[in-house]
Amino acid sequence: MRAKMDYPNINTKNPEGKRPDGSSYKVLIVDDSMFVAKQISQILSSEGFEIIGTAKDGIEGLEKYKELHPNVDLVTMDITMPNMDGVTCLQKIIEFDPEAKIVMISALGKQDLVKQSLLSGAKNYIVKPLDRAKVLERISSVLKG
Amino acid sequence: MRVEYINPFVESAFNVLKEVLNTDIKRGELYLKSTSQPVLGVATIIGLAGDVEGRVLLDMSMETAMGIASEMNMEKLEKFDELGKATITELANMITGQAITKLHELGFKFDLTPPSMLTGNDMVISDSGVEALIVPIELSYGKLEINVAIKEKD
Repeated sequence: MRAKMDYPNINTKNPEGKRPDGSSYKVLIVDDSMFVAKQISQILSSEGFEIIGTAKDGIEGLEKYKELHPNVDLVTMDITMPNMDGVTCLQKIIEFDPEAKIVMISALGKQDLVKQSLLSGAKNYIVKPLDRAKVLERISSVLKG
Repeated sequence: MRVEYINPFVESAFNVLKEVLNTDIKRGELYLKSTSQPVLGVATIIGLAGDVEGRVLLDMSMETAMGIASEMNMEKLEKFDELGKATITELANMITGQAITKLHELGFKFDLTPPSMLTGNDMVISDSGVEALIVPIELSYGKLEINVAIKEKD
């Protein structure tokens, strides 16, 4: 049997979801699509992030952010949602906490809303369909930035 | 109906399906229907309103919907539950979103309604005063049809 060190170890790289001290970044997912919420949650959990909460619309998202603050490191925010859309929710969260790190999740064709979100304080955006590399790259750059 | 309207939907359906499913995708022959037509079983409808009016229907059988939803979730779904419905709705959202971007670039301006999903057997859809163009797409899970009915506003 060959020694373990003969093989490249895929675990040598620190997972993106952990701080250097080993604690997990905490993420709140705001999305009305169960499929998208599950997809984001799976990608992030597999990389060591902790999903601290999920919300199905902007009203619930705002409530959960206030309730969990200051224990939320990042929010993923869908744009089109019932009751309160993602852009309004973003603006209300930024009003409450100007330091909030929010990444917008957008379908293609919503460039105007993405622009408006970035002007309102969103740190970055991801266009669906989501893929693992794209999600991790955008979220990590916001957390490190 | 002008064919320019349907090409962006076909192109984006190909792009999105290729990206979210690991399977062969074949395009069938485009055909036109002007009267009532049967729906395959799982139909997601997105309305268009603006310079043009109409609707896009993403239509597939229950077996196809289960196959696609299982692949997109990377787990075998046992029944077409809330997660399955959310998955197919999201697929319709992605396809129409990308198509609308292309149509906007071509100068057409209109908005989309949120998707509605209908499921059931023996359903028929009737569009008054507008023909529907249908592009069948063959996947290993079965057939999916992109069914677009659009008319320009008078």
